[in-house]
Amino acid sequence: MRYQVVIAGFGGQGVVFLVKVLALCAGNRDIPFLGTENHGMSQRGGAVSCDIKVGDFSNPVIDNGQADLIIGLDANEALRNLHLLKQGASVISNAKEAFPALPFEVTLVDANAKALNNEFPIQGLNVFMLGITLAKVEGFPFSVEEVKQAITQMNAKVAQQNIEILDMAMEYAKSL
Amino acid sequence: MKQTLMGNDAIAWGLVHANVDMVSGYPGTPSSEILGVVQKIKKQLELPIYAEWGTNEKVGFEVAYAGAIAGKRTCATMKQVGLNVASDALMSASYIGNLGGMLLIAADDPGFHSSQTEQDSRVFAKFARIPVLDPATPQDAYDMVKQGVALSEKFQVPVMMRPVMRVCHAREIIEMDAETNFKPNEGKFVREVSRWAGVPRDGRLRQGHEVLDRIETIKQYNWEELLAPEFAKCKGGKLLILTSGTGYAFAKETLDDLGLKADIVKIKMPYPLPEAKIREEFEKYEQVLVIEEPYPCVEEQLAHPKLHGKNTGTMHLIDEMKKEHILKAFQSMGFYAGANIYEVPKLDLGFEVPARPPALCPGCPHRDIYYAIMKVFKKRKSIYPSDIGCYTLALSQGAIDSILCMGASVSMASGFSLADPDKTVVATIGDGTFFHSGIPPLLNAVYQGHKFILVILDNSTIAMTGRQPTPERFHQAIDIGKIVEGMGITCMEHTYSYEMQDNIDFMKTVKTQFESPEQKGPLVVRVKQFCILDNERKDDWVPGIFAEVDPELCVACDQCTTVYKCPPMAYNAEGKIEIDPFLCAGCGGCLDVICPTDAFIVDEKKTEVKS
Repeated sequence: MRYQVVIAGFGGQGVVFLVKVLALCAGNRDIPFLGTENHGMSQRGGAVSCDIKVGDFSNPVIDNGQADLIIGLDANEALRNLHLLKQGASVISNAKEAFPALPFEVTLVDANAKALNNEFPIQGLNVFMLGITLAKVEGFPFSVEEVKQAITQMNAKVAQQNIEILDMAMEYAKSL
Repeated sequence: MKQTLMGNDAIAWGLVHANVDMVSGYPGTPSSEILGVVQKIKKQLELPIYAEWGTNEKVGFEVAYAGAIAGKRTCATMKQVGLNVASDALMSASYIGNLGGMLLIAADDPGFHSSQTEQDSRVFAKFARIPVLDPATPQDAYDMVKQGVALSEKFQVPVMMRPVMRVCHAREIIEMDAETNFKPNEGKFVREVSRWAGVPRDGRLRQGHEVLDRIETIKQYNWEELLAPEFAKCKGGKLLILTSGTGYAFAKETLDDLGLKADIVKIKMPYPLPEAKIREEFEKYEQVLVIEEPYPCVEEQLAHPKLHGKNTGTMHLIDEMKKEHILKAFQSMGFYAGANIYEVPKLDLGFEVPARPPALCPGCPHRDIYYAIMKVFKKRKSIYPSDIGCYTLALSQGAIDSILCMGASVSMASGFSLADPDKTVVATIGDGTFFHSGIPPLLNAVYQGHKFILVILDNSTIAMTGRQPTPERFHQAIDIGKIVEGMGITCMEHTYSYEMQDNIDFMKTVKTQFESPEQKGPLVVRVKQFCILDNERKDDWVPGIFAEVDPELCVACDQCTTVYKCPPMAYNAEGKIEIDPFLCAGCGGCLDVICPTDAFIVDEKKTEVKS
């Protein structure tokens, strides 16, 4: 199997948390993977993206036209990284407004509006988007149970809350 | 045992599994996590390891190096520009050597992700005449830490390991020792004055000859142990690819992607190279390509008519490695005639995705202090040298005129004040950088009577690299104010206030003092602040007053988006400023002064909930 994911957002949104979760999923199943982080000097607020390449690869950087999926925690950050996608790839993004027509499988949710509506705390945005991904992306390499296990390994204290957000997102995705 | 780890975690485990007793260094991206993870492992497993930050890289290096002279296994960690600071010690350490083992980890940053230069630490190792190991992956890095420590003991000289950012900050499954049976090494200084205190000319000339002999021995080791087994696997043919570090991973994947076959050799120790032995291998090939970054370190050692690389214009000369560069090299060498598979048609979105440059965090007090400085010391009449740290991001507020290297704000303030005495020089430096290298230039300014203002932005942490502690945080008795007073000058003190007028009023008193006839020499100001990401301290500082915009009052004048520049502030579809409720930190800094029409008002609902 070879599967390449870009996770895009800005500092403070928990992009790195998601790449760690997917890395643990791969590690737990003993599938080789390589991950890396792309960010500049910002602690918080600047553009951040992470690459994870699952399968037989030797370098962690995703090149143009190679990725199977972008998980966008922010609409502009998803759009900024579209050049990395291969034809027919999937885009899952948090977005207020519709994207222009794109040659990809696009699923958009206004997760900020749901957080503002107190449906989940904004700190759970990353997990919420992962839930949408699990529900909508065919061929995503990890199962719901594997993701839940990795989330628990990451931080047992907040695991319960994160798993509730994941379930809620997957339930919500049915309506999309 | 298999573990899912980041490169810097793997390096830290490698140090523990190599029985390294002392780790010292200075934070700098992408090296910073290494020492912090050693500290965590030490605490978890209660190991007798010294793992502490030095006040700068030179100090960190020297602490570790003395440990290695005295028989311990030691390590110094730093980023590539940090090695410049430690280089004075390194150059002599190469002559003198050690009895124990010392691994110097200098992490490079090809692509300038978070560094002011793209310099290559392998070339520095060559300059210092010490061996260097270059890992391609986190697994390599784990293995090479152990190898490097052992080699340092074997050859009695510091050994460098040079991981690049794509190793330090890469993740993969690491195969590492199942158990940690840490065995401390005995520290015992053996007096040998002619060695540990060798002086010019005879002592150092003798050691210089020893360096040359040692390098020849290490070349032979490099061939027999590391390179010959690699070349033995090669078949010969059209193209030989020589790689150093991540070059291996990029080259291998490019070949896979293009469906091409060529012999690839991973050069684990890119200096010193047994040039003649390697050149003999070239006879089996039509052409040879070197893939390395960022400088042509291997290429320049091996110079040969068959050799292609950066100096022949075949590979890129600057910026990070990409598979596309390798594809183009294959094309130019006639090894690949197909299409550029990494070129994708540009998607037309109908608009440009707005840039999101790094910015000071919402709620960061640096923003308010710079705003106050700019408000009082007008731009036209001032020069603003600054330094390396989070506050460098105040560039976007137009509050910084020059950045050179750690500590240079102070000495450059001296230089600017001498060269252009009609202007007021207002330099800014953080407390971490002041401790690192800001004190000697301030001493210089005091004894030479250079007249400028130095504002020390004291948030008691090295924020930029992940909030490592500064000396005053660790040891409360080290007081910046007393250091300044110890130089015979006063230190004006101010405590950051979320009410902007307080900060402005204070800067006005600074200006008055600076312009008074009795002010001679530098005027030092220390502003006590906090870091908004510092969970230990921020709650004592952040008032939890959240802001919103009164759209009736907002006249879209751009003042907040161009001068104050707090990330939650942006125009909405109605052309009015709106505050992103998820980003606002509740610092209250924008409520006073910064909006000419006072459109920022307290978000009573949110503020009430929080308080």
